[in-house]
Amino acid sequence: MNDFSDLEIELEKLRPVQPSENLVTQIERALAEAPGSAATAGVLPRTQRLHWNWVTLGLGVAAAAFLVLARIDSDHSVKQAPATASAPPVSSRTTPEKADQLVVSDLSQVVYNTRNEGLLFADDSAQPVRRVRSQTRETLQWRNPSTGASLRVSYPSEEIELIPISGQ
Amino acid sequence: MIIKDREKVMENAATHENWKVCFSQLAPGLLLFARQWMRSNADAEDVVQEAFVRFWRKQHSVDNRALLYATVRSIALDFIRRDSRRARREANAFSGSEQSVEPYFEVDDESQQVLHDAIDRLPHEQREVLVMKIWNEFTFAEIANVLGISQNTAASRYRYALAALKRNLLPHE
Repeated sequence: MNDFSDLEIELEKLRPVQPSENLVTQIERALAEAPGSAATAGVLPRTQRLHWNWVTLGLGVAAAAFLVLARIDSDHSVKQAPATASAPPVSSRTTPEKADQLVVSDLSQVVYNTRNEGLLFADDSAQPVRRVRSQTRETLQWRNPSTGASLRVSYPSEEIELIPISGQ
Repeated sequence: MIIKDREKVMENAATHENWKVCFSQLAPGLLLFARQWMRSNADAEDVVQEAFVRFWRKQHSVDNRALLYATVRSIALDFIRRDSRRARREANAFSGSEQSVEPYFEVDDESQQVLHDAIDRLPHEQREVLVMKIWNEFTFAEIANVLGISQNTAASRYRYALAALKRNLLPHE
């Protein structure tokens, strides 16, 4: 028992308004229709939004930037050192010990917002899922140990997780 | 072939009857739940219809009530998001500055009307927990699942709702 038991009894005496007779008829009609042509009861069907995969996009941009810079850096070093021009260019790009090269110095991912968007049905499944949207900022940093030059790429990313939930 | 067809017909008939039985048991509570966002019974019925049809096509039982109620909640929120004028009106209503147009309950006397009005003035997050607990007989675990909150939070909101109601009703007692 608690302090509110009398109040709870009073609340239980309140009877919710009954639905109209018409509601059952409308549901019956809607269930009889093909799923694709179901009446939406004035609610427009959820539009399929285009979700950018910011992680992939960001990593792609970062990788492209890195490759461009590495290429410029490599060409520059070849021009400056003709004595080593006979060396295979591949080895000059892949040797991490090479001083005049950008190397990854930092990688961070900060999750600054996570939102639980509730239970839903997955598109092709009756399995209920909870949709959780996480917003993060990822930062990659490269540094040239010899010159001290650095490159930092920071981008927002958004991840949507569909987490299966157990039935009640 | 004929036997198979007959079985199919019987199965459809059983399903047909099942949804009516399930719906008749849940309908008043579902409608009340939808009324948390919709300020008229007609709009709430539209939401309940959409949610139940979507749910029943996938589930064919009401074992997972949490998903059904979560579907109602989701559709109701989508409904008001898509109509900015409606959203503004609902926001005003939620702030307590506007009384509901239609009653949630069938009130028999003045004391029930006072109680009805006090429920209407509750903060929205407390009222939805109260509605699920009292008139839909949800456990706190189910409420937590529908709302995506912890059970402790659900229980706290329920207690806050009762405390607020008691406080609001005191001058009238």
